[in-house]
Amino acid sequence: MTPILIALTIGIPWLGAIIVWLMGDRREELTHWVSILFSIGAAVTSVLLLPNASRETALTIPIGGDFGDFTFVADGLGIFLSVIAAVIGSLAVIFSKNYMKGEASLGRYYAFVLFFIGAMVGLVLSSNLLLTFLFWEITALCSYALISFHNDDPKAVKGGIKALIITSIGGVGLMVGALIVYAYTGSYDINNFLANYSTIPGNILALLAFGFLIAAAAKSAQFPFQTWLPDAMEAPSPISALIHAATMVNAGVYLLARFYPAFKDVPYWSEAVMIVGALSALLAAVMALVSNDLKRVLAYSTVSQLGYMVYAIGTGSVYASQFHLFSHSIFKALLFLSAGAVIHSIGTRNMLEMGGVGKKLPLVKWVFIIGALALAGLPILNGFWSKELILESGLKNGPLWLYIVMVFVAGLTALYTIRCVWLVFFGEPRSEYHAHAIGWEMIAALLPLAGAALVSWLAAGRFSVLLGEKSLPFHAIEPLPYKEMMHEVLSLPTLVVMVVITAAILLWVFRKKLEGLINGLKSIRWAAENSFGFEAINNAIVKVTQSTAEALRVTQTGILNWNVFGILASVIILLAILVLGA
Amino acid sequence: MTSNFLFSSLLLLPFLAAPIVYMLGRLTARNGNVLGISLTRALTVFFLLVEGCLLYLVVKQALSSGGAYLLIGDEPLVFDGIGLILACVVLFLGLMVTLFSIDYMNNEKGEEKFYALLLTTIGSIIGLGMSYDLFNLWLWFEAMAISTYLLVAFYNDEPPSLEAGVKYLVQSAVGSALVMFGIAMIFSQTGSITLTDLWQLTSSEAPLAKIAGVLLIVGFGVKTALVPLHTWLPDAHSQAPSGISAMLSGVVIEAGLVAMLRAISMFGKVDFNWGAILIGFGCLNILIGNLMALRQTQVKRLLAYSSLAHVGYMLLGFGFSMAFGRFEGAAGGFFHLLTHSMMKGLAFLAAGALLFTLHLSKQEHVPLTLDDLNGASRKYPVAAFALGLAVLGLGGIPPMAGFMSKWQILVAGVKAENTLMLIVVIFAALNSILSLGYYAPLVNRMYRHEPSTAVEQGSKMPGLIIVPLVILSIAIVVIGVWPSSVQFLTEQAGLSLLYTFFY
Amino acid sequence: MNLPIPLIVLITILCLAGIGLYCLLITRNLIKVVIALQLIVKGAVLAFILAGNMTGQLNLAQSMALTVIVADTIVAVVGLALAVQIRLKTGSLDIKSLSSLKR
Repeated sequence: MTPILIALTIGIPWLGAIIVWLMGDRREELTHWVSILFSIGAAVTSVLLLPNASRETALTIPIGGDFGDFTFVADGLGIFLSVIAAVIGSLAVIFSKNYMKGEASLGRYYAFVLFFIGAMVGLVLSSNLLLTFLFWEITALCSYALISFHNDDPKAVKGGIKALIITSIGGVGLMVGALIVYAYTGSYDINNFLANYSTIPGNILALLAFGFLIAAAAKSAQFPFQTWLPDAMEAPSPISALIHAATMVNAGVYLLARFYPAFKDVPYWSEAVMIVGALSALLAAVMALVSNDLKRVLAYSTVSQLGYMVYAIGTGSVYASQFHLFSHSIFKALLFLSAGAVIHSIGTRNMLEMGGVGKKLPLVKWVFIIGALALAGLPILNGFWSKELILESGLKNGPLWLYIVMVFVAGLTALYTIRCVWLVFFGEPRSEYHAHAIGWEMIAALLPLAGAALVSWLAAGRFSVLLGEKSLPFHAIEPLPYKEMMHEVLSLPTLVVMVVITAAILLWVFRKKLEGLINGLKSIRWAAENSFGFEAINNAIVKVTQSTAEALRVTQTGILNWNVFGILASVIILLAILVLGA
Repeated sequence: MTSNFLFSSLLLLPFLAAPIVYMLGRLTARNGNVLGISLTRALTVFFLLVEGCLLYLVVKQALSSGGAYLLIGDEPLVFDGIGLILACVVLFLGLMVTLFSIDYMNNEKGEEKFYALLLTTIGSIIGLGMSYDLFNLWLWFEAMAISTYLLVAFYNDEPPSLEAGVKYLVQSAVGSALVMFGIAMIFSQTGSITLTDLWQLTSSEAPLAKIAGVLLIVGFGVKTALVPLHTWLPDAHSQAPSGISAMLSGVVIEAGLVAMLRAISMFGKVDFNWGAILIGFGCLNILIGNLMALRQTQVKRLLAYSSLAHVGYMLLGFGFSMAFGRFEGAAGGFFHLLTHSMMKGLAFLAAGALLFTLHLSKQEHVPLTLDDLNGASRKYPVAAFALGLAVLGLGGIPPMAGFMSKWQILVAGVKAENTLMLIVVIFAALNSILSLGYYAPLVNRMYRHEPSTAVEQGSKMPGLIIVPLVILSIAIVVIGVWPSSVQFLTEQAGLSLLYTFFY
Repeated sequence: MNLPIPLIVLITILCLAGIGLYCLLITRNLIKVVIALQLIVKGAVLAFILAGNMTGQLNLAQSMALTVIVADTIVAVVGLALAVQIRLKTGSLDIKSLSSLKR
């Protein structure tokens, strides 16, 4: 049963992708419905996989040679992520029916969305490192194609290429890692590696561990690779919700979670992971606080929350990190889709031009507030439970100063969240805008997510069993029923965090009175608006490459004498090298 | 049929077919005589298909009888894995190019010359793969070179084509002369030029052998477009008719590489240095190829520079196999030869299709620029998709075949378990990403909604041109998801190569 | 001179090749380029003969030399044909004017 379900969960969206591409742009309504059909099909089969979690190799496609056999394992970690990918994928597709109405090239749009869903499922279910990398690169391709969907907009094209290049550079880390695993253990199989990782010499294992960390950091837009995610917001909002909040950026966290047992003993690795996570969380939270673009705030917020997940893995609690991933996918997708509804309706992304939207779009306001409360980590929403679990693990296993930083970031999160909600939905409209009503498709996508944000934490127990011994033999995750989890979370450290969050909210409410303090932090504000120098570094790298290339063009002189000279020069140089080298 | 007969006809058929095709074309060349030229084209396709059948029969015979070889006087010709893969690649690509050129070269002056020369090129490349003797190698190599000189300068009314042809001729001839000196030196030292004899004899490090080796590498290297011997390449590949550009980038350069490998095979056991030279050239090619392509504005020139980079990957693979004895390097190098010929062939054919509809069909001999590609996908969806697929495949993105072939080469590098080689592997991977920096914007341009003026005024895409584009696209994706489908070819070739190095 | 013949031949080869290569680097006229190529190849032909003499395989060397001469003649013919066409179309045989394809 399981092999068929795996094949279907990948195959159905891919088949849909081919069909939708070939359908072209001739019949818009049909294209929408066909895509919705295929995405729901994938969602159904992925959910059907849930009861069958096991660590046995479920599906094998023999290839042989230096490519190993393409194997798939339907274990808990993989299944839960594929359910997220497929279900949120179908919600995004349903949302797109309204959001992308009347756009051209819909065939290309839906084809890449469906292709992406299949690839993401394949990525998490694969048990062959080469295959994992293959799907990794395919998701990068789809992400690039969808960010630069509006090819006529130079910003979108630039954003797409930037995302492609930065994530691919990180991907080199995964690629080298996969090659090392193959060279030293003779097989690409992940479970085989996790069982035998001690046979790899220490320095090579360290190279492997840090290579994977770089790959994960680039894919999940962590420090120092975080610059691509805000620019990826040029993509249509359903894409931002699906790819850049709920699924693809989670691939990095997935990688770290999957390979944690092998790397946890590598010297300095856990510390590096914690610092990467904490730095990303902090820097992104500050940048979110000063940004005026609604989607950019959410993008920075994603980076920040992913930082929490990465930090959690560094402290050793894979369960907390994955639980937060679960909550985050839900509430962040919710936030992006509602933001998309607002942007689609109002016509601008600039929060300074909004205000009072809540009066025109009350439903959107309420679901956005639900998502915001989950993001800020307020009880009883799912974000609260998962974030507290992470902070608990941090207090227990990580250095105290990092814990304090993460609590501070929790406060910042609350602050920028309430700022966002306030600027958009409350107050008086700050510019002339006309709010279109939103369609039923958007509502149909938003409501389930809002509901899930309220109750998904109740599945904590089931979730821990899913990740437990039966499917992840090397991770040692204990079952944690939700009542026990509630008991664990509702304790003194949580109270401290609640105080910090309340303080942050009060800060916003009394912001007029604190003008002096805010003015004093102007230099930090300036640094944050300039992304703390990372954009400048990116631009410098691009500029250097381009000017080197331009300078090199001189060598192609076009004059025959120089060409022949080149031939003779090489003979002489080679002879010299050989004679000297002997 | 005896194996000797099959083998000899495999080698001779193109050279018999070429004058027949040419005569037929010439004799029926009257204005508006469509039948004559159609017959010529059909005959070319027919001969290529027959050649393919002969190849298949020879392979079957070889497998059953344990090897196919032929002795013409003292010249040995052996049908091994390297010859097989080269013959398969050249026949497949040649067939695609012929189908493509039926519409592309329609009504060009001297069209029958084109097909005849194409046949001789194909024939000489097949022969090149079979030769086991240095001088024989040089001879087939020279035949291939002469055929391509005429093909590059095909548009002999256009000064840029002539210029490209002359530069190509002079540099290639210099290379050939250097090869001759190298062969003469080896001959003077050892008294023999058959490879099997040379493998036995050259275990003593005669100083002249080193000089001969360098001359051979540089001499064949001109044709293989090693940097800094590559300066003829951008001009020749961009000025030739698009089908020939595809052949040049796809097989001719690789044939030069195979010739070079055969020639220096005797040095395989002697020294580590020779494999290192290949790896060094490989890295240089990859870097320079990608950097130079980054700033190009003409499509065909951009693709030509990217060929430099891909030859670099092949050199890396072969260098790994020569320096460290890694089988994956040899198999990977040949795999990349196969996939690159298909992807670069598809890229040039798709770009050629667009060049044809946008410019050539209106008799304007201007190069296709990147700006011309804006919005091409709406009017020419198949060509745009094919070009996008080929170009992203060249950048190493799955599920196209380039990903798998690059992977196999990098496996060889890591398995060598050498820190320097690990750095080379990372360098090669990063360069792959650098190449995306000029491939991705190209694809983005094609999928704009706002068409360029050229696209708006472009004519209709002829039907037959699309057929090879579709066939190649499907082949690339199939090999990309199922790499073992061609492993029988590449592994055979890899084994043969290691045999020649470490006999 | 009482130099042994092989040495004379060797010096001739080096002179031919050297002059040919030098001309290729210096000259600006296409016809001279083709002639320089011819010089180099003739040097190579002599090299074959010398090699054959040194190893006693004169027959093999002679056949190689003849083949090389044939092949090289064809190359020269093609080269000169291109030169003629260039002269017709651009009116000049100067290499510097043949550098429109660059960068």
